[in-house]
Amino acid sequence: MINITEEKEGLRAVFEGRLDTPAAVKAQQEIGSLLENADKTIILDCTNLEYISSSGLRLFLSIRKEAGAKGGNVIIENINENIRKVFMMTGFFNLFDIRNA
Amino acid sequence: MYHLTLPNDIETIPQLNEFIDGFCEETGISMDVCTSLNLAIEEAVVNVMSYAYPVGTVGNVDIEAEADKNVATFVISDTGQPFDPTKKADADITLPAEKRPVGGLGIHLVRQIMDSISYEYADHKNILTLKKKFNKQEVL
Repeated sequence: MINITEEKEGLRAVFEGRLDTPAAVKAQQEIGSLLENADKTIILDCTNLEYISSSGLRLFLSIRKEAGAKGGNVIIENINENIRKVFMMTGFFNLFDIRNA
Repeated sequence: MYHLTLPNDIETIPQLNEFIDGFCEETGISMDVCTSLNLAIEEAVVNVMSYAYPVGTVGNVDIEAEADKNVATFVISDTGQPFDPTKKADADITLPAEKRPVGGLGIHLVRQIMDSISYEYADHKNILTLKKKFNKQEVL
């Protein structure tokens, strides 16, 4: 589900497909290294993410909270139109640095 | 009338997504609205799967879908403990990250996406009815 790679300033996590409830529950087990490195820059790459449910939002928010506590920052890259709508409905644009190419 | 019964196991959510996709396709609901419906119904069903039955017990959730000319109606029911999700306070989406509770966004999304939500408890069942208006597309 998530592919995490190291970059110069921090970590890049690449999400793919559907981040529905069961996928987000599994992903929660895979974000340990992101939480540990939350003092750096974390990029959540959503270029190939098609769908997100509230469990996926919860996952993003928990990373954001950890970064807030440790002084890092979280960038969300390339969300599609559906995810943009979900972010609008939940006020996520106020919480994240969202960058679309 | 379209009908699906799932056990209270979130691993079955992909079956729900298939069911909603099939329903939308056959009733001429656009991809765009279909994606929103997928999300709202997933949230409502996951809520039942997570909280209706005591931990460790097996129970079902029934999903019925029906469409007339321009309104899609979904009825989600279970035989778990009485719980009215419409009574839940709405999430405050203006709070900064550090003050945001991580939960509560599911029912918020259901409220945002659907045009009406109603709850009743009858015949020992929780019955949640969700409606969404749509513009019918030509079925190819």
